[in-house]
Amino acid sequence: MTTVSLGRFLLKRAVQGVFVIWGVVTVVFLLRFITPGDPVTFIAPLDASQELRRRIAAELGLNRPIYVQYLDYLAGLLQGDMGYSYISNTEASARVFARLPATVELAVAATVVAVALSIPLGVVSATRRHEPVDYGATLFSLVGISTPNFWLGIMLVLLLAVQFGLFPTSQRGTGFLPAVAGTVGQFDPGLVVRLAVELRGEALLAYLGKLPLVTWLAHITLPAVTLGTYFTALITRLTRSGMLDELGKSYIRASRAKGLPESLVRYKHALRNTLAPVITVVGLQLGTLIGGAVITEAVFAWPGLGTELIRAINLRDWPLIQGSLIVIGAGFVVVNTLVDALQAYLDPRVVAD
Amino acid sequence: MVDLDWLLHPVASGALSRLREALRLSPRTVRNLRTEFRRSALAKLGVGLIVCALLVAAFAPALAPHNPTNQNLNDNQLPPLGFDRQTTNTTSKMVNGSIEIVNETSWVNSTGEHPLGTDSLGRDMLSRTIYGARTSLIVGVIGTGIAALFGVTVGLLAGYYSGRIDDALMRSADVMLAFPSLVLAVALVGLIGTASVRVPDPFVRAGLTPNMPETFTLPGTVIIVVGLVNWVWFARVARSEALSVRSEEYIKAARAVGASDRHIVTRHVLPNSITPIIVLATIQVAAIILLESALAFLGFSGTTLSWGFDIAQGRQYLSSSWWIATIPGVAIVLTVVGINLVGDWLRDALDPGIEGEGGGP
Amino acid sequence: MAGRDLLRVEGLSTRFFTEEGQINAVEDVSFTLREGEVFGIVGESGSGKSVTALSLVDLVESPGRVTAGEVRYRDADLAASVRDRHPDAVDGEFVDLRRVPERVRRSLRGPSFSMIFQDPMSSFNPSVTVGEQIAEAVEVQRRASANPRSTRSRTQGYGLGRLLADTVLPTRSYVSGESRERAVELLEQVGIPDPADRADEYPHQFSGGMLQRAMVAQALAGEPDVLVADEPTTALDVTIQAQILNLLDDLQAEAGMSILLITHNLGVIARTCDRVGVMYAGEVVERGSLTAVFDNPVHPYTQGLLGSIPDLADPAPRLQPIEGSVPDLVDAEMDDRCYFADRCPKAMTECLDKPPEFAVDGDDEHAAMCVLADHDFIESEALRPDYFESPLEGADVDAAESETDD
Ligand code: SF4
Repeated sequence: MTTVSLGRFLLKRAVQGVFVIWGVVTVVFLLRFITPGDPVTFIAPLDASQELRRRIAAELGLNRPIYVQYLDYLAGLLQGDMGYSYISNTEASARVFARLPATVELAVAATVVAVALSIPLGVVSATRRHEPVDYGATLFSLVGISTPNFWLGIMLVLLLAVQFGLFPTSQRGTGFLPAVAGTVGQFDPGLVVRLAVELRGEALLAYLGKLPLVTWLAHITLPAVTLGTYFTALITRLTRSGMLDELGKSYIRASRAKGLPESLVRYKHALRNTLAPVITVVGLQLGTLIGGAVITEAVFAWPGLGTELIRAINLRDWPLIQGSLIVIGAGFVVVNTLVDALQAYLDPRVVAD
Repeated sequence: MVDLDWLLHPVASGALSRLREALRLSPRTVRNLRTEFRRSALAKLGVGLIVCALLVAAFAPALAPHNPTNQNLNDNQLPPLGFDRQTTNTTSKMVNGSIEIVNETSWVNSTGEHPLGTDSLGRDMLSRTIYGARTSLIVGVIGTGIAALFGVTVGLLAGYYSGRIDDALMRSADVMLAFPSLVLAVALVGLIGTASVRVPDPFVRAGLTPNMPETFTLPGTVIIVVGLVNWVWFARVARSEALSVRSEEYIKAARAVGASDRHIVTRHVLPNSITPIIVLATIQVAAIILLESALAFLGFSGTTLSWGFDIAQGRQYLSSSWWIATIPGVAIVLTVVGINLVGDWLRDALDPGIEGEGGGP
Repeated sequence: MAGRDLLRVEGLSTRFFTEEGQINAVEDVSFTLREGEVFGIVGESGSGKSVTALSLVDLVESPGRVTAGEVRYRDADLAASVRDRHPDAVDGEFVDLRRVPERVRRSLRGPSFSMIFQDPMSSFNPSVTVGEQIAEAVEVQRRASANPRSTRSRTQGYGLGRLLADTVLPTRSYVSGESRERAVELLEQVGIPDPADRADEYPHQFSGGMLQRAMVAQALAGEPDVLVADEPTTALDVTIQAQILNLLDDLQAEAGMSILLITHNLGVIARTCDRVGVMYAGEVVERGSLTAVFDNPVHPYTQGLLGSIPDLADPAPRLQPIEGSVPDLVDAEMDDRCYFADRCPKAMTECLDKPPEFAVDGDDEHAAMCVLADHDFIESEALRPDYFESPLEGADVDAAESETDD
């Protein structure tokens, strides 16, 4: 694999991605015309006169031919303009991008949880086949991919938040970055040491519990686990079967024959080759992650894009609906392209094909 | 030149009977299935779970002890058997001229009348859970059928003709894939509205179970939407199978002797693609059941007899009545575990060469 | 040519414990390998010859296991270092590798034993450059020899963090620059043109012959005393086969190592080996010097094999199939008889008892596991031709799928 061909491969993927995003925008735009109901009905007062309705439609530009509206919308998008929210009279893009960080934070946290747990679990399960840990991991992954995550979230709330009060039941604290900044600003190591030395455990816990980073962690733990479980289970399954596959191949035997220590054989060779196909499937399943985020947000009243989208749908706030859907779709395409790049980097054969 | 007609009218052209023909499995396949089944305890468990779920769904009116929609506010939030619960009623009383808050504690005993307790409106949880199986399985199976019919048609078309048609269809599949199926389904159901179809219940009609609901509500929009948002997976699999088959010698030979495209696709390409499609369809039923429950949980459903709907209800009473949200979830997990186990069994026995495709929330 | 014994294999048995039952892939196999010689093991596929090779280097994979026997390897240093802890494993300069811990056996892979496999394309990791893989083999030995034998660490200074980083990103922190240079030298030594450039290519960019050369280079990385070559030429074109054999000849002459050559190709045996063992159904049925076995074969199986070679100088002809096929070695189905009896044209009643190994013509090197080495064929004792085809012993078609040898 030369750098040039890798570059060309990525460029091709990027161009494809742009076209898919264009398709996403078009589909989202057309959604308004293929679903029943006139947006004006939702905005106008119930007793509005025909004249008033016409005026509202004209003001929103809804009376123009479709293609004009389409081109207008495209032109607006290119400048980052998604129109004004019908309901709250703010810029749709401002609302969407205000909500986006919460969703991204949740998705990233879930991914971190999933990757950190699943790959070691899958590897251990494959290398200790038919041992209790393997059966445990298999059972976990089976149940994990079969559990609706909103229910799992509710059960976690029931057990850990309602029964034991370990975590808050819902809401998001501050964002991650403000939490880090706040913690750095107010953390007092001297106080911690003093409390620890004086064995004032309760005071210490109370102090630590008030740190913004700890609050952040407390808020995000249950949503992240809720959203991450399906992926943890899925990746565990894929890693396990992939590792079993790779470990049975001749090159593994050859690596052992040349004297490589088992750790290198397993991780540098078998696991690395396992990861490439795992990443492909995970890339395909990213949509599930984003879809899962929508419902996880609903369970935990997490102020992200998903809750915004559902609210907008219920109110027929079209600029917001379109804006959220486009950001979700485009986000998926971008992340998927990055996954492709990662895969090409891990497995030179991808570029060759 | 390109004979598309039959693809657009699969029923009229007899493609369905061809499909039936294609489903007739080879003796070798049957043997593999049997050996794998005998060997795997998990496969047996899976089949057992699914058979139970199917029986429960089919005989719901006969099995349910109560009408699942009957409310009884005197008996609301009764706990399941063995979980007697303490309730605390908070009332205010005038004591010595000032208002005092009084907490009265009393016990609510579970009764054999409602083995799994009742929900916030006093409806029997066991009966609701039994009827929920109907909704889940019907949506899962019909939804998968729609997805498969549409996806396989598109995929075979794309893979067999390749070239421009292929490019166009696969690009549109890429666009479809950019929307998470749950997001798309929420948007479509939310925007189209939740139309439903009432189907008379044969048991009640025959006078066998007079106390049960006379009609069963099928969430029509939901069924169609869950089918439409999942076709892409079928299209991908059918396409890759068609692509690999079309270069085979016998296909070339068939074309050389002048067999029509329609004949080749229904007689040769489809039967060769059927194994991976069956495996995928199994997994998809599980994914669609999960999707339906998520939609119902979010309030986008055409029926109230749905596990997801009950979970959403129970969520509001989590601190006082844990079972309302818990029981339907257990039912979902058991059903989906069963389907996934059967999927694993089929995958191991048929070795279709697909992995991890299909989605779930 | 004949040096001292380097490796003495005695009574080696390897079994596979599968769902279909226990499979005796290697059964009571004995032979010796001397310094600087090429010992050939020949047999049809399924005869257990590859499993024998894997058993020597302890690479038999589950559900297989070496269940009995001794693999005694002469190494004075090794003997000295394990004598205290494992006195029963040491006999003079010989160490029984089956009685020392796995760690010790593993430490011998590379510097003492190394192996080349049949299919070069699947024996290299497809997503790591060829040079890197050879350099790894060099690096392993470099790190090991930097430490005293007792604590031979092959990952010294290479912690978990860097291992994880290597797993996710194709960095090269395990392998040092020197090892990489040495890998290029090795590639040059095995006759690969432009070795420095080719080292940075991936296996799929190599031709089969070139990749087999690279595998030889990789096997040479640890400067082994014993090179086990399992069907090294089978996957290659005839002309390339000759090149690889020449390469092995040259390298052996240069480095003076011993080669254990596993093949089903009698031409290859005739061309390269000093001594030879013929395997059938997991057993060595005849062994001896090349000339003794080839000029005076005693076992009817060997005779059958040789019957297919018109000219020893011509390496091309392969084994002509003798009628019938190798039994599937399922323990439950093995009678205690000469396993070849069902295909043997000279089977006699006494062959229904397992024949011992007889020395042939007083030559203590040449031995055969056949009654014909003891006395001549007795016409009146012959089994009727359809003796094994009686309905009671009908062949089970399904069980034929249980192949143990590739
Ligand atoms: S022992 Fe008997 S059956 Fe076996 S090879 Fe010798 S002669 Fe043939």
